[in-house]
Amino acid sequence: MEKIVEIKKLTKSYKVGENEFNALDNIDLSLNKGEFIVILGPSGAGKSTLLNLIGGMDTPSKGDILIDGENISKYNEKQLNDYRAENIGFIFQFYNILPTLTVLENVELVRDIVKNPIDSKEALKGVGLEKHKNKFPSQLSGGEQQRVSIARAIAKNPKLLLCDEPTGALDSKTGVEVLKLLRKQCDGNEGANTVIIVTHNSLIAEIADTVVHVKNGKIESVTSNEHPKRIDEVGW
Amino acid sequence: MLKKKMLRDIRKNLSQFITIFLMVFIGVMAYAGIESYMDGMEKTANKYYQENNLQDLNVMGANFTEEDLKEIKKIENVKDAERKLTLNGTTDGDRTLLLSFIETNNISKFYVFEGEGFNPESEGVWIDKYYADENNYKIGDEITIKYDKIELKEKVKGIVNIPDHVYDVKDSSEIYPDHKEFGVAYLSINELPEYFRIFNNVMVDVDNKDKKDEVKNKIEEKVENAIAVTNIEDGASYTSYQGEIDEGKTYIGVFSGLFLFIAMLSVITTMTRVVKKQRVQIGTLKALGFKKSKILLHYIGYGFWISLVASLAGLVGGYYLIGNFFISMEMAFFEMPNGAPSMNISSYIMAVLVVLTVSFITYLTCRKILKENAAETLRSKLPNVKNNSLNITTRGIFKKLGFSSKWNIRDIVRNKMRTFMGIAGVTGCAMLIVCAFGMFDSMNYFIELQFEKLYNFNYKLVLNENISKENLNKIEEKYGANTSKTLGIEIKNGDIKEANNVFVTDANELIRFVNKDGEFTEVNSDEGIYVTYKLAETKGYKMGDEISWHIYGDNKYYTSKIIGFNKDPQNQNVTMTRKYLESLGVEYKPDSLYTNQDLKDVKEIENVELIQDKNALKDGMENMLQTMRKMIILIIVIAILLGAIIIYNLGILSYTEKQYQFATLKVLGFKDKKIRKIFTEQNNWIAIISIIIGIPLGYYLTDWLFKTAIEEHYDFGASIKMITYVIAGVGTFIVSYVVSKILARKVKNIDMVTSLKGNE
Repeated sequence: MEKIVEIKKLTKSYKVGENEFNALDNIDLSLNKGEFIVILGPSGAGKSTLLNLIGGMDTPSKGDILIDGENISKYNEKQLNDYRAENIGFIFQFYNILPTLTVLENVELVRDIVKNPIDSKEALKGVGLEKHKNKFPSQLSGGEQQRVSIARAIAKNPKLLLCDEPTGALDSKTGVEVLKLLRKQCDGNEGANTVIIVTHNSLIAEIADTVVHVKNGKIESVTSNEHPKRIDEVGW
Repeated sequence: MLKKKMLRDIRKNLSQFITIFLMVFIGVMAYAGIESYMDGMEKTANKYYQENNLQDLNVMGANFTEEDLKEIKKIENVKDAERKLTLNGTTDGDRTLLLSFIETNNISKFYVFEGEGFNPESEGVWIDKYYADENNYKIGDEITIKYDKIELKEKVKGIVNIPDHVYDVKDSSEIYPDHKEFGVAYLSINELPEYFRIFNNVMVDVDNKDKKDEVKNKIEEKVENAIAVTNIEDGASYTSYQGEIDEGKTYIGVFSGLFLFIAMLSVITTMTRVVKKQRVQIGTLKALGFKKSKILLHYIGYGFWISLVASLAGLVGGYYLIGNFFISMEMAFFEMPNGAPSMNISSYIMAVLVVLTVSFITYLTCRKILKENAAETLRSKLPNVKNNSLNITTRGIFKKLGFSSKWNIRDIVRNKMRTFMGIAGVTGCAMLIVCAFGMFDSMNYFIELQFEKLYNFNYKLVLNENISKENLNKIEEKYGANTSKTLGIEIKNGDIKEANNVFVTDANELIRFVNKDGEFTEVNSDEGIYVTYKLAETKGYKMGDEISWHIYGDNKYYTSKIIGFNKDPQNQNVTMTRKYLESLGVEYKPDSLYTNQDLKDVKEIENVELIQDKNALKDGMENMLQTMRKMIILIIVIAILLGAIIIYNLGILSYTEKQYQFATLKVLGFKDKKIRKIFTEQNNWIAIISIIIGIPLGYYLTDWLFKTAIEEHYDFGASIKMITYVIAGVGTFIVSYVVSKILARKVKNIDMVTSLKGNE
């Protein structure tokens, strides 16, 4: 299968006070294109660091990250910026949508960055928010806000949809809705889109094509789900 | 889309942006307004003097003949010269008119408001506009003019302004011109009887200003009738106006500069905070893939547009509100046409600098955030605290402090910059308030010194120039022999000759003298001269120095030893006793007599030109202060306004930043009252510290203003009453306290859930 992410001997260290510690310690990892991938691990394991590095939001201390064959670890700031703009859609735990723009405007924002975005209204329709398009974020529930953030991410039509605890701030029912939307992204575009979710919720792993277990800055295991469960089958 | 975001962000943080707007607006308005006023004064005068050909030199004498005039005109670099007879006459209602009889009017040409220009063949009188307005004279009205035995009935031909009479007062002890009682009138010399057609003044226009001194020397050399030649720059009218400009330039310029500086300090703090608050949004934009330059431009826009609009409004407001206000006030004092503020290039530069500074600060703040990688930016940043800096509250006396005080000390330690800016802003305002009120006090002290201490008489009689010895004796017998004489002298200082005057006293205790500290001192030695402290300071005279001088109209030089100093608040000159003058062989012929008799109902005394009531002089001085009062009130209003805005702004900044912590305290069960106390306590500390620093600084600012900026012939420093300090201190504190209280009311409305979530 075609690889979308190839990580070789990757280390990311941080300085805390006078000590240096490795958030990621010499890891290797390959991820397939078009899959629904879950990175699982406890708090402080290094999951978010890994996601940020894949997304070009942070730079590695050592090692290489190849995305679609391109080594982004060698990129300078400007190249990383272009890489993010063209290839990556981010979804955060706390949504990070701009509070002073309406729902539609938040999605339309990507028109300023990418050349061929998906129609914003279509993207909103895809997440079921077309009726709320003129509302401001503060008028929406948490789940709705997360859907705006998904609409904004998919409007870019990115190769990689990177989600950091996307359901972490949501109740289980809303969380399921959000996961369905994300799975749809993966399944719906003839395998062109890859979704990577970082979570500590092991139930989500049951619906993934591939599950990466991270612990103490190391990859503990990478398992493929031959028969991932449908979302509704999981006992949330 | 980002434009929309900017507009909505501004709307969302409206109160902060309004304060930024107001601070820039007030700062630029004060600066541009005062500059446009000062520049307007200068340009108006330059234009007027240029277009109406103000003379360069005045030649004084007893009787200038046709030949003298020809002789002067022949001197190299003399462009033109005109003769003039100047006299003090009276008119209807016993008002004083400064009369000038002329042959032509090409120098110091009339600016005609109504009627016609000067024509030597035309009968009639040209009077100054203010005198005409105050007394309701119209073209064609008849005026009776009296001088000695001559009485002329003249029709008003023109209502004019004359460049040589921008500022004229009845006599030197009057400061504020009374246009109802005193006016300037010009007539053709042909109006006088043949025997009276003499000229005591020649106005000279030179073609090269650098050659003025040469021309001056040549006139002195060639024209025998010339007693004194003076530069126009030494004339009362010119210097008074110019003095106002010079004074204003430093004097009020300091205020405008300070206003702008204080405003900018606050704007910079606020702008930095506004951008820092957008940290997560900056991170989000970066994560989305927005180019760095685009994000930078977007945030620079916040500072740029607000400061641009505020600066433009400030420029317009400065010109129309402050510039016009001051100019019209000045033009009530000085008689000059077309007075208008003038927008100075420095105001535009300052406005551009303000916009650039605000934009640059926004840029720097944003760039600093953008330097971090996107992942880091998306994390909320905790204030950077050195590990041990917070230990301050766990040691020594701090250990015993209550929770609220400890909390505030820690907050201050964590937000040093905000605290510093707050203190700087409030200190500046307290300082300005002390200074503005202090100027009042100091002026009042000056009046008291002049009219209560130095002038120990009730009436001053200005004696007739030609009074005979017998008549003088008669007056002295009746009113007391307390007299003085003022002589115009020229002091030689190396190669430079400088005009000054010597006050010869025989006034006994009716004119008193004081030392540097305002304590009485005697001027009674007949061995030499006394000079004022400021004159000694500016010329470098020391005790025992000898100075060489001569009386105008007499070329004999005298050398006198300095034997003492005295302080004079409004005249920097030389003083000597009658006996000393006589010991030099100069006759003492008094020109003034002082008395404490009640002359309330005395209208006229024979051989006395003028009876001056000390209280009337004092009133005149207070009148002038009235004008100054308006300016000071404006300064105080701006200072208080700016102070209130800075305190409010500071409060709102710290409130917004602490909202999360207050919400946490509320969740823990702290009562609103307690939280409000924590909040107001810090603001009160800042106000108190600022007041403690600001008050002495206010004193030094006032002292500096009076000592260095004020006209050379004045000498008085700051003299501020205790009550002024109290008012300034308490006033500043009250403003701060009220603003804190208003903001503290918000504590009640803290929505615990939203506040805590908002911080995530």
